[in-house]
Amino acid sequence: MTNPSDLADRLVEVVGPRGVLRRPGELVVFRSDGLPGYSKHPRLAVFPRTRDELISVVRLLAEQGVPFVPRGAGTGLSGGALADDVVLVGLNRLTRILSIDPVERLAVVEPGVVNVALTRAATPHGLHYAPDPSSQAACTIGGNIAENAGGPHCLKYGVTLNHVRAITAILPNGEIVRLGNAEGEADGYDLLGAFIGSEGCFGIALDITVRLSPNPQAIRTLLADFTSVDAAARATSEIIASGIVPAALEMMDGPTIRAVEASIYAAGYPVDAEAILLIELDGLEAGLEADVARIEAMCASAGARTVRVARDDTERARLWQGRKKAFGAMGRVSSHLVVQDAVIPRTRLPDLLAIIREIAERQRITVCNVFHAGDGNLHPNIGYDANNPDEQARVHAAMREIMAACVAAGGTITGEHGIGLDKLDYMSLIFSDESLAAMCRLREVFDPERRANPGKVVPVHSCREWHGAPRAAWSA
Amino acid sequence: MERVTAPAKAAAAESGTNDRTAAATPSQPALRPTSVAEVREIVRDAMSDKAPLRIVGRGTWLDAGRPVDAVRQVSLDALTGIVDYTPGDLTLTARAGTPLVEITRATAAHGQWLALVPWGGDAGSLGATAATATAGPVSGALGAPRDVVIGLEAVAGSGDVVRGGGRVVKNVAGFDLTRLMVGAWGTLGILTEVSVRLRGLPERETTLALAVPNAPGLLAELVTRLRSAAIAPLALEILSTRLATQLGLGESAVVIARIAGNADAVAAQQDALGAFGEVSEVAGEVWTAVRTADPIHGTVVRFSSPVARFPEMWRAADRLAAAGDGHAHASVVRSAARVVLPHNEGTPSDAALAILRGGGRDTRIFERLPAALWPVLAPSSVNDRLSQGVRAAFDPHRLLNPGILGETQA
Repeated sequence: MTNPSDLADRLVEVVGPRGVLRRPGELVVFRSDGLPGYSKHPRLAVFPRTRDELISVVRLLAEQGVPFVPRGAGTGLSGGALADDVVLVGLNRLTRILSIDPVERLAVVEPGVVNVALTRAATPHGLHYAPDPSSQAACTIGGNIAENAGGPHCLKYGVTLNHVRAITAILPNGEIVRLGNAEGEADGYDLLGAFIGSEGCFGIALDITVRLSPNPQAIRTLLADFTSVDAAARATSEIIASGIVPAALEMMDGPTIRAVEASIYAAGYPVDAEAILLIELDGLEAGLEADVARIEAMCASAGARTVRVARDDTERARLWQGRKKAFGAMGRVSSHLVVQDAVIPRTRLPDLLAIIREIAERQRITVCNVFHAGDGNLHPNIGYDANNPDEQARVHAAMREIMAACVAAGGTITGEHGIGLDKLDYMSLIFSDESLAAMCRLREVFDPERRANPGKVVPVHSCREWHGAPRAAWSA
Repeated sequence: MERVTAPAKAAAAESGTNDRTAAATPSQPALRPTSVAEVREIVRDAMSDKAPLRIVGRGTWLDAGRPVDAVRQVSLDALTGIVDYTPGDLTLTARAGTPLVEITRATAAHGQWLALVPWGGDAGSLGATAATATAGPVSGALGAPRDVVIGLEAVAGSGDVVRGGGRVVKNVAGFDLTRLMVGAWGTLGILTEVSVRLRGLPERETTLALAVPNAPGLLAELVTRLRSAAIAPLALEILSTRLATQLGLGESAVVIARIAGNADAVAAQQDALGAFGEVSEVAGEVWTAVRTADPIHGTVVRFSSPVARFPEMWRAADRLAAAGDGHAHASVVRSAARVVLPHNEGTPSDAALAILRGGGRDTRIFERLPAALWPVLAPSSVNDRLSQGVRAAFDPHRLLNPGILGETQA
């Protein structure tokens, strides 16, 4: 078995000296992803520049029996891209958009293409890539595939899964497979569906064929402000139940509004509001005004103080900027921020938000809510100081209580951020041992040695025939 | 078979007895579990007796898929009922054998619908629709089963009860067992419960028919214009001359468009389609008629292609339909056609067979085919290493619908 230094030399032969990082000082930035509170040191990091280099890297790691963690832009919020003493395979240099076909409305991209770069490239054709996570200015399509990423506009247009037609992937053993069918209907098992959202445990996408969506003929963006979170939650439930499907329906609470307004992302939100709803309707011009009127009426009857419609694209962009940069704006409030993620049935919004408030008060922590209200996808964000052990303990206790409350309400523990490392402990809240064991078996079909993103997604003890930590394979 | 009740047969026009299954299940009545625990018992018995199972939903589509080499039949028609439906959540969970009509009725009472409307009508079960990933005319606009199903419960061939997904509309917890089981034709697990997302019924809707020009170039132009028109149809289906005639829509091929939305949206789309020439309003029932137009016995094959090749693909489908005295229809949005060739015994006509044997550039997926033709015309899609591995992981003893996907034994 190769020792790490020999392996690094072999990798340098593949990707060149600038493509391998091995000194601790160089690896510092890779100790965490978008989630604070963890610090895991990769043994070394390798950055292939081309498809062929990536294939050679994966095959070399396979030959040496070395575990690895694929990483896109590292914006993930579940610790999924942390490499604990294993090799980190950075995909952010594979940034080529291989083709855009405006007739088929398809694009083929490498995994390191930044989400918003694809939409930018599609814009001249009147098309866009629909999944739009808040991190879209930095996150990669490959990372989106791994996490089955969502975003505000997934309410109407669906998550990543609904926008991928085919993937060419390299499995951890070096085998290259084609999943899905970009030319027509797919047949056989939906291995593409299984691969999307597998959090880097099933392999690495070499190229990805995604659907591009036509830009809507018309858009209306509404801002409704409320004097209570409860009223905004009731308005949300009513809009969803009405059957109108907004393109997006986002909620921000008072603390979040004030953090945004105090930041460089100030969007003109009313700072004395306790909650705002950002509601976007799109589609054909005809009929849109009638839907706007219905939504305005529903907001008003739920107690909205004002409902205003963005006058133009500039104001619309500003309203969205405040929403998408809200997490950044919270940096003003505290040194660390946990962006939590859970989903509940949409009729339960008012009572769950009340429960979260109660948990926050009891645990003496600060929770800000900025989330995808329309699909019940909560993001309770907890600002804290990670250097204060007592506060950190209360944060953890509160998170666990919030997750348990969401599960008890019929919900789930993650809607778009993934399990990663952070939520392993919660998996048994929603899945039986038999289901977890089935997931382990599925993983082993793609990666019998469990070398890809080891220790993530499914708790190790759930796997009946666990055969020891793969890391043992290359201890120097 | 006595398990297929007469009303169920009558309700689903494509329904028919399945001689192959009947032969494979001599004189044994179907097992009809009423709970997931009973399904698990059946699978465990099958394991200990090494007796493979033929899994049936409500028996309305028995001759779909390849012949199954089974000893016992499990029918899920007694595992029924809506388990959870809170209209404000726009989600619903039902036991697998629940007929789609029951879900349609329950949701319509709250102004909602399950936008699956698969080929074959609504007599079939939710579980079978998910298991076979059967789509229908609205799938281009509103999603196929893989997009609509948000969670499920199944009994795997190992006897384990597994769950994927959940009852909320957004969920990325764990590896995606849901997607894997949807379209697996029961070979990875017997579906016992399925959760789906619902939609609000549109305020208004109407169906319009427009004539399809005969000349190939004109069809291509029509399709291109339709795709960029200011319309957002729930369905946009071209019907072959024979099908159009059969449904009383005239003597030549037509495109029917299902337009929905509020009053303003519907009116504007009607105007937009008016620019395409002569447009007539058609009763909405035409969609049910198209979905249930399959004959009791026959061959059904789906073609799909890139959008740019739609006219070519449609011509190939239409030619096959004509050669086999059948009909064809195709989604303009999805660029996917369905060719239906009726024949009582034996095989499609020689002319149709010649076309089928000739192959083509398009993707072809067979729904129904005479037993002897499966190995000749329809290569299996699950004989790759990963698919074989998945099968072995969930059905290690090959007890669930063995043969239905044409898999060779690993």
